Amino acid sequence: MSAFLTYLISGLAIGCTFALVGSGFVAIHRVTRVVNFAQGTFAVVAGMMAGSMLGHGLPHGLAEVIAVVLAGACGLAAGVIAIGKPGTPTLSSLVITLGIAIGAYAVEIVVWGDQPVSYQMARGSVDIAGAHIQTQYFVVIGATIAIFIALSLFFSRSYVGKALTACASNPYAARLAGINPIRMGLIAFTVGGVLGGLAGVLITPLQPVTFDADVALAVNGFAAAIFGGLNKPSAALVGGLVLGVTEALVAGYYNASYQTEVALGLMLAIMIWQARKRLSVVEEVH
Amino acid sequence: MNAFGGATAGGTRHTRARSSDRLRSAGIVLGVIVGVGTLVLPLGLSAAQLTVYVLLGTATMVTVGVSLLMGYAGQVSLGQAAFYAIGGYTAALMTIHGLPSLLGLICAPIVAGVVAGVVGIPILRLRGHYLAFATLAMQLILLSIVAQVDFFGGELGLNGIPLLSLAGKELSDPRAYAYVVWIGVALVMLVTHNIIASRPGRGLRALATSETAAESAGVPVTRYRLTVFALSAAFAGLAGAIYAFFLGYIAPGSFPVLLSLEFVVMAVVGGLGTVWGPLVGAAVITLLVQWLNGLGTMPGMPAYASVVFSYAVYAVVLIGVLLFLRRGLLPTAVVMLRKVTRRRTGGPVGSVESADDDVPVGGADSSSSVDGAEDGDGHIGSPAGSEAGR
Repeated sequence: MSAFLTYLISGLAIGCTFALVGSGFVAIHRVTRVVNFAQGTFAVVAGMMAGSMLGHGLPHGLAEVIAVVLAGACGLAAGVIAIGKPGTPTLSSLVITLGIAIGAYAVEIVVWGDQPVSYQMARGSVDIAGAHIQTQYFVVIGATIAIFIALSLFFSRSYVGKALTACASNPYAARLAGINPIRMGLIAFTVGGVLGGLAGVLITPLQPVTFDADVALAVNGFAAAIFGGLNKPSAALVGGLVLGVTEALVAGYYNASYQTEVALGLMLAIMIWQARKRLSVVEEVH
Repeated sequence: MNAFGGATAGGTRHTRARSSDRLRSAGIVLGVIVGVGTLVLPLGLSAAQLTVYVLLGTATMVTVGVSLLMGYAGQVSLGQAAFYAIGGYTAALMTIHGLPSLLGLICAPIVAGVVAGVVGIPILRLRGHYLAFATLAMQLILLSIVAQVDFFGGELGLNGIPLLSLAGKELSDPRAYAYVVWIGVALVMLVTHNIIASRPGRGLRALATSETAAESAGVPVTRYRLTVFALSAAFAGLAGAIYAFFLGYIAPGSFPVLLSLEFVVMAVVGGLGTVWGPLVGAAVITLLVQWLNGLGTMPGMPAYASVVFSYAVYAVVLIGVLLFLRRGLLPTAVVMLRKVTRRRTGGPVGSVESADDDVPVGGADSSSSVDGAEDGDGHIGSPAGSEAGR
């Protein structure tokens, strides 16, 4: 029972970081229709930045904020390159974000080296029903809940958030209402960068981050985002939690090395199932 | 359903035909020069240079498949290195267990193609970004399985793969592999050329433009998509087998995700949906990376310099081409050449024509890269006549 509780909570925490990366995918995709392959890169950049800031003696809080702001700036830069040129087809934009992810490797190695980076955020552990659970897991879960509440308020209450939602549901009508889709796209990329950065800052204390950790983060985040068809942040949260807990249980009770297969297999199954549903919808319409 | 647009444009038709005829014959001459040149080249190369030659060749073979897939069938594969790996492992395992190496070489593309055919049935239900991530996931799953199963050599990989032997003679000279690769590249390009020129090829172009339209015009969309997927996998499988025999050692680490991305970079840079584009793309990228590698290992450079350079090259070239030369290097060069020759022949540069040429075409965007495909394929020489056109 105590083992199960450990797996459950660690899975929820890891799942939260997947959900944050995934909601970054969603934030960008719903406005621009671009799947941003560099989504994992933002997390890596933020994790490494926070690590080196803390190494330089900056206090907790400030270091993380700087790292997340940097990730947001990276998101904006990625957006300018990927969608800034009018008329770039979305599939071109996907391959461009791929290029950005590869280019980021070069920068990351020069700035931070190719060794794993980690740091401590919350020390100690909590005993619940006989299980030792790292405090960091609770920090991640709590922070994620707060971030998702803030995100939903941002999308539903703030002017920019409403404009983003308008662009997502109908870009043409949004343009008629005086909203500039490219500017909204860039804002979406910035939001995506910030969300990726938050994920990176939270996950680095749990698992050391290397420059090429972005592929695993991006794939898991994408798998989480796919639950809602890449359009609903709340579905990405559910997806991330399901994925994280499944992986933790597989790793705990069966074999840690099979957790990737399980996660990816789940993602493939969901995508194929959704595609089938989509096709049948199309057939009905015609 | 005429997928060949714009080749005959009103009054300037004759001028255009003449200049394109001239370009076509220039292309054939160029193709022959490249063919003969690459055939003679290995004689003068050192062992290290031969290694680059062979790896460039195998990369070209895979990239031809990627280019066909992206340019003609409108599908992005981010997992092509998986089929490269399947080919390599098939050939390696068969020869290690005592089967003739030629059989391994023949079976590698077949196994890769069959695996792609089976995997493709569910995966190809997906489109666009979803398919791209699905192929990536497929590669990650494959690598993870290979690393855990002892039969495949696990994380350490397979050592001591026997040399390739043809007609009872072991090929131990790297030069021999250069010729094996040359034949492989020629074969892959020939097959691709014939497919493009055939009726299914036209069906594929239609499919890349609009699946619904193609389907309603009687193109068996699902079957064609699956066939191209399997074929591109078979190309990669053949390349993987040559790679395994040449190096004598393969491991899951030989086929990282980055390798798949490299193939995409090469395909996009060379020009999607062209026969010769992949060769151009693979050559440009490989040689650039080699040159920077040399630069990076010079004294005084930090230890990470060559790695950083290669990442930077992939990123800069890929993004630069996608933003500014969307058709890719080869088709862009052909369009420029055509403009130059037309001006020189003094033909009227009709408004219809120039409008036709200046249509912005998307690189990775399937529908418009079809135009790029025509430019590249139709005018730069083709390796063989198109009997398949019938």
